[in-house]
Amino acid sequence: MLIVLQLYFSFHSNDRQTEEAPVLSDMAEVEDTLKRIQGINGVIGTIVVNAEGIPIKTTLDNSTTVQYAGLLHQLTMKARSTVRDIDPQNDLTFLRIRSKKHEIMVSTDKEYLLIVIQNPAE
Amino acid sequence: MSHTTVKQKRTALKVARSSKTLNVSSGVFRVNQSMTKTINPSFSGKSFSSGSDSKVLDKSLAQTPKHTVQVFDEHGQDITPHPLYNPDPGVLQPKQGKIFPAHEMSWTTMTDFPSVAFQTTNASFTGPFTRSFFGSASASRTSQTAESVTDETKDFIAKPDLSSSLTDVQTRREKVKEQVREDIMDRVVDCYLTETETIWLLDIPAVSVSVDSEDAEAVKERNNAYTELCKNRQGNDKYVERSMQTFNDAPKTKEVQSDSITMVDKAVMSTTWDMYDSFCNKSDVSENTVVSAEGNKATVPDSSSMSHLLNPSGTDQSMSVFSTTSTVSGSSTHLEKMTVLPVEEEPDLELILQSDKFKQDLAMMERVVLANIFQPKLAAYRQLPVIEDPDCVQTQMEEESWTEQTKNSLSPFLEHLWAFKCELTMGRNVSSMTWNKKNPDLLAVGYGQHEFKDQKPGLVCCWSLKNPTWPDRIFHCESGVTALDFSSCNANQLAVGMYDGTIAIYNVQTAEQTPITDSSDCANMHTCPVWQLRWVDHDTGLAGEEKGEMLISVSGDGRISKWIHYKGLECVDLMKLKSPNVTINRQQWNPKILSLAPGLCFDFHPNDSKIYLAGTEEGQIHKCSYSYNEQFLETYEAHTGPVYKVAWSPFCPDVFLSCSSDWTIYLWRQDLPKPVLGFSSGQKVVFDIMWSPHCATIFGVVREGNVEIWDLRVSSLDPTIVSLTSTGVNPTVLLFTPETDCVLVGDSEGHVTVYKLKNLPAGGSTQVETLEDVIWSTLSSQHTLGKTDGSA
Repeated sequence: MLIVLQLYFSFHSNDRQTEEAPVLSDMAEVEDTLKRIQGINGVIGTIVVNAEGIPIKTTLDNSTTVQYAGLLHQLTMKARSTVRDIDPQNDLTFLRIRSKKHEIMVSTDKEYLLIVIQNPAE
Repeated sequence: MSHTTVKQKRTALKVARSSKTLNVSSGVFRVNQSMTKTINPSFSGKSFSSGSDSKVLDKSLAQTPKHTVQVFDEHGQDITPHPLYNPDPGVLQPKQGKIFPAHEMSWTTMTDFPSVAFQTTNASFTGPFTRSFFGSASASRTSQTAESVTDETKDFIAKPDLSSSLTDVQTRREKVKEQVREDIMDRVVDCYLTETETIWLLDIPAVSVSVDSEDAEAVKERNNAYTELCKNRQGNDKYVERSMQTFNDAPKTKEVQSDSITMVDKAVMSTTWDMYDSFCNKSDVSENTVVSAEGNKATVPDSSSMSHLLNPSGTDQSMSVFSTTSTVSGSSTHLEKMTVLPVEEEPDLELILQSDKFKQDLAMMERVVLANIFQPKLAAYRQLPVIEDPDCVQTQMEEESWTEQTKNSLSPFLEHLWAFKCELTMGRNVSSMTWNKKNPDLLAVGYGQHEFKDQKPGLVCCWSLKNPTWPDRIFHCESGVTALDFSSCNANQLAVGMYDGTIAIYNVQTAEQTPITDSSDCANMHTCPVWQLRWVDHDTGLAGEEKGEMLISVSGDGRISKWIHYKGLECVDLMKLKSPNVTINRQQWNPKILSLAPGLCFDFHPNDSKIYLAGTEEGQIHKCSYSYNEQFLETYEAHTGPVYKVAWSPFCPDVFLSCSSDWTIYLWRQDLPKPVLGFSSGQKVVFDIMWSPHCATIFGVVREGNVEIWDLRVSSLDPTIVSLTSTGVNPTVLLFTPETDCVLVGDSEGHVTVYKLKNLPAGGSTQVETLEDVIWSTLSSQHTLGKTDGSA
């Protein structure tokens, strides 16, 4: 009896589709990840800044976002310039600023900056 | 003042020897009393002017030669007029010659003498050429005095006057020199240069031509012509002085207006990387810049140029956001880019967020952020020293719990590090766990129900140690996952065995949900749940057999199969687990009907990959050979319930453990049909056992409700560590970490908890001898007792 039932199930198993991912847009996956990062304990805010230093996605309020984006953009430019002056084939990938209260992590690229501010004490 | 000095000086001086000039002058030295008297006042008037030049005169000139003639008046007073000038033919004279005449000239001109007087006196002195300048000077001076004097004596008097005045001048010069010097310092002195008979302003030396030379005739003619010209010069109309006047036009102002010239500050910072970029991009981007620059320069606000701009950027690079035009370091294109931006903002956001690079960066950022949180745990896991965060303020609660544990630090315990869990895995039963062979941080966990009821679609999650909050890979399966194994040859291949008998191989490098291959098309596929999978590497192969890795599975339909991956999965049966209940039942079963006992587990010998053990649902453990699929080599019977796990000891080649649902664990030796040791603690089903990969005497047990760590060095009767799980939650799978001293426990709630083994008695070696000793001692005690112990 046990065997019969299992055979029945195995016939139907092929009908079901497990493929739902390719249709799922990349945006949703990115949004999920951003949400997860924001949901991690201690994360204060997440900002995505484009190449000109204009924030395009943020979880903080406007004034703070603009401030962070502008300042970190400049600092990243400077850091990148430093790294590339030493070796033009090199490039800056990650910048981490540890302060007393927070840690600011900036993942850099030519086209964007990804900024996460975390309070690691919590 | 000077007046008095003059007088004083005069009386003091005596006439010394006479020079030539003085002889001449003395010759006419017929002094008229009135003359002398008149000389004085007149002279005194000049004294200042003469005194002004005194400083120029050489001191050597101060020595005045004295006159030989003396003059006396009626009263016998010596009124010998002193020579005006007593030149001393000294060495320095020529030196001063240049200066003196100039000043002498000025001397003359300071007085308001007409040039006529100058000329007349000049004409009168023809003799003393060397002193002509002096003569002229004095002559001009005395000409003033001459006005008051009769003409007859003019010339004569001039000389004595000259000498006397000169003498006075000489003396006076000495005295007054210092006084006047300072006054003269600030004076503006006008110098006029005029020609004299011996001094010319223009001096072209004549060129002499020999009479015999060829040019002589021409030169002579020219000379003659010149002399004629000179003669004719006087009164010639050709040489008339004339003056002209030009008209000065009236000035007129004119204005021009132009646009204001706006000044723009422009700065470019030249950096090493900037130059490198320009150089690299120059050839690549030249076409792009031309296209886009055209689009930019034409009409910036024009929408058509927008699309024109976007097209080349879109077609050139599908991956990155901005085309290389944005990276060109020309400032002009940059400026134009700025104006372009507002229109492109929308696609800009999308492009960035969807780029692969962004996803990677996001993943990395997530790990970084989590690393900040989990850093002490991970450090403990990796057996690194745990450094406290200096800025982190630990709460009171944490400190208390920490101190509690440290109090009990003597006894061994399991330290809870963290748990792999997420919302996806909530409520699912962990059925199998395995480490990746290549990357020791990668853990594959299969979720699926063991029981027949509550079957739901299975899930395989690949967790990374760096991210305990979300799995790196998620594979949804149709039915519950019951077995997992990573391949050693291709470390990215994960074999998944499912409740419905399907075996699928996934490639974990990508996040694709479809497996590489599936066994569902295979005719020989398992019809019952695949309870265990193993990739086995056959190093030695007989002729005809393939070397390399093979996937071996055991299933509830009683078959142990070998799977080969050609186009699909194809299987070959290695063994059929025949149920030996033929012998047990009283009735003789028809031997043609082969009933197979469902196989639940198997394990290949670590050293000899041909031998393997198989545990069945009926409680028997069969030792089989890979190359002989008809009969078992041996059968071990002791369990009364399904054998859930058999495990060879990784250190002792003859020893293996088995666990079963009959609440017991048996330690066997290969050559003995009965178990050597039995372990039981409580009446709970044992789900899983595993030998510790570090120490030969340690193994972990997962029972219903608790996790036990047994250490045979310490005790073979009781587990060394017992860790109770929360009620209702059963730990189902146990996994030791191959490199560190941690153990993972998967439970029925979907959590995989990481524990660190603390305070276990550490041994230098793997304690193989200890295990053997234990076994030997047990055996010997058994023999002495005469009974085998171990049946539950």
